[in-house]
Amino acid sequence: MNAHIHYEEEHALMRAEARRWLDERFAIARVRSLADSAEGEDPADWKELASLGWLGLVIPEKHGGAGLGATHLAVLMEETGRRLLPSPLLPSTLAALALVLDGSEAQASRWLPAIASGETRAVYAKSASIWGAECADAFVVSTRDGVELVERGAAALSITPELVLDRTRRSARVTRNGVALASGEASARLTAWACVALAAEMAGGADALLAMTAAYAATREQFGKPIGSFQAVKHPLVNVLIGVESLRSLVYAAASALDVESADAETLARMAKAQASDVYVFAAARAVQLHGGFGFTLDCDAHLYLKRAQTTRPAFGDAMAQRRWLATRLADPTPATR
Amino acid sequence: MEALRAEVRAWIEKNHPGDPGFKLPQSPLEVADDRQFEWLRDWQRKLYDAGYVGAEWPREYGGFGRERGAQRVIDHELGRARAPFLLNIVALSWAGPMILRYGTEAHKRKFIAKLLRCDEIWCQGFSEPGSGSDLASLRTTALREGDSWRIDGHKVWTTLGRYADWCILLARTDPAAVKHAGISYFLAPMKTPGVEVLPLVKMTGEGGFNQVIWNSARMPADALLGREGQGWELATATLQFERGAAEGSAGGSGGASEQVARVAALARTLGRDADPVVRDRLAGFWIQETAIRANAQRSRNPGLVSDRPEALPLMQKLTSTEQAQALADFACELEGDAASLWIGDPEALENAEWQRSYMNSFAGTIAGGTSEILRNILGERVLGLPKTR
Repeated sequence: MNAHIHYEEEHALMRAEARRWLDERFAIARVRSLADSAEGEDPADWKELASLGWLGLVIPEKHGGAGLGATHLAVLMEETGRRLLPSPLLPSTLAALALVLDGSEAQASRWLPAIASGETRAVYAKSASIWGAECADAFVVSTRDGVELVERGAAALSITPELVLDRTRRSARVTRNGVALASGEASARLTAWACVALAAEMAGGADALLAMTAAYAATREQFGKPIGSFQAVKHPLVNVLIGVESLRSLVYAAASALDVESADAETLARMAKAQASDVYVFAAARAVQLHGGFGFTLDCDAHLYLKRAQTTRPAFGDAMAQRRWLATRLADPTPATR
Repeated sequence: MEALRAEVRAWIEKNHPGDPGFKLPQSPLEVADDRQFEWLRDWQRKLYDAGYVGAEWPREYGGFGRERGAQRVIDHELGRARAPFLLNIVALSWAGPMILRYGTEAHKRKFIAKLLRCDEIWCQGFSEPGSGSDLASLRTTALREGDSWRIDGHKVWTTLGRYADWCILLARTDPAAVKHAGISYFLAPMKTPGVEVLPLVKMTGEGGFNQVIWNSARMPADALLGREGQGWELATATLQFERGAAEGSAGGSGGASEQVARVAALARTLGRDADPVVRDRLAGFWIQETAIRANAQRSRNPGLVSDRPEALPLMQKLTSTEQAQALADFACELEGDAASLWIGDPEALENAEWQRSYMNSFAGTIAGGTSEILRNILGERVLGLPKTR
């Protein structure tokens, strides 16, 4: 297994720009107020995401996008994950990826420019519970031989918003003639890209939890000492650190593998998603626990991340599902041809 | 680099020494008899003569002056070919890099070439019976007497002590100074009157481990490395090398890669590879093994470690030793009843290699800073948590 990582100045610049913008715009108080709102998002944010070029990040230049690679995408997702971005950038990116990777040329040229400009809000139908569906104009569904794009106005379509745990990431059930609109098994390439995007977002969230909890443990005093001086608190936090750092390494190894079209890309991407699924929930659970009684309240930010972690875990396969796939690859190390 | 990789690959194919016909130790920590010692010394010499030990070290002292990253490629290829380990581990990974960084010109000329070629063996004199994790409480003394130093004390867990010519030794030169301040760092001779090496036996029954009694042993004035009283700083630097947190090893740190694939093969042999529980655990180990490798990759990419520059180097030893231990334990569990058999039993699988690996794996999680101490260091240095006292 090769795990080469290519990360250049342009990626670092993009990270700095994204972090600055997100920090300024998505202070936790605003994220909370959007979570409490009926819509769950602010249309002005969507316009900004379009003008920053982020909606078209992975869309080829010929279709009006920036044509950037998986490492750029990982950087952006990691930074949005840190701030629990309450806007459907991720499901829209997954829809764009599905069209780019598995769509026909006709579908790509018809839809991608409008997705990149923000004019058409397309979301990926990852399962029967579709993120960002309530305000979407179109749904992209993986089928056996490609993708299908279903417009919101299509006949016999019904959209029912769900009551959700994570109110920073809304979802809805979409049915057509009473049958749920949901993707079948995604292609290997789409799975790999999606796993990298998801794992990167989860890495950002887990990293934010770690920073928050370490800062709390360094200042909260009991028995006359900061609780972070006790090994019973310190060592679990270090275990979170190790999990998060390892996750970031897997994310960027997988992203680099996608960028150079390495045969190991899907394996690395699934490893990243497995690690993310375990580590994000672990980091969130330790955050709640180590904040003590306060951690259990609505006022503490830990639960916002815990709910995001729980919500994101099953997408494109939880850790158990990824390990099931990986075990097959371990038993038969020749690259899959699919 | 790819040319070097191909060269090493071809060399090792032609020169792999194969099975010596007797039981080799699993690491330099268990070298217990002269036959093992001589065979491994000859192997390191052969590698040195091929230019694969000290590849990046300066030519003027006996290295090969290759570009940065060459040693890693060499070590990786040797590990991949499951070539025998390099014997002179303390010299190549800790003593040598310390001499290059802190030694005088005379030290470098005197020691480097000989340690690379295995002409002189090095050991480490840090731990004492009363000073393990709390290393700075050490009580061995080195006192000036005229033109030399007189050493008195007791060191333990001394790998290669029986064969060593030299020792990187920590001793208290100012008994009046507070704890960390009075310690100095020496390049001390072992083959000298007043130095007594006593063997210790590990839980596997293997030797190779020693204690060293220093009874008014003498060393010359120039045995001091760095300045008097600078010992704690130099000890910390040595531990960075020992934990793989600092680069600069002259070889032998390739480690065994793809251990999970070996355990997967064991599961197949035992007919347990269809068991979903076994598969789930194997995949989990594979993810962690890959993450450890990806961590090493990322640690060399400054743009991706700027948030916490010390995290990955300080994690390296902790994660790899805990992974090795958990994986060896899992292999033993897979073996079932066979895991209760020991070396020499005809029914033992792989001649009880996994049992031996598991027992010996505790050297990794204890030596050079226990996993518990390393978690304290990570919490304090990387996460900014207050000190544990």
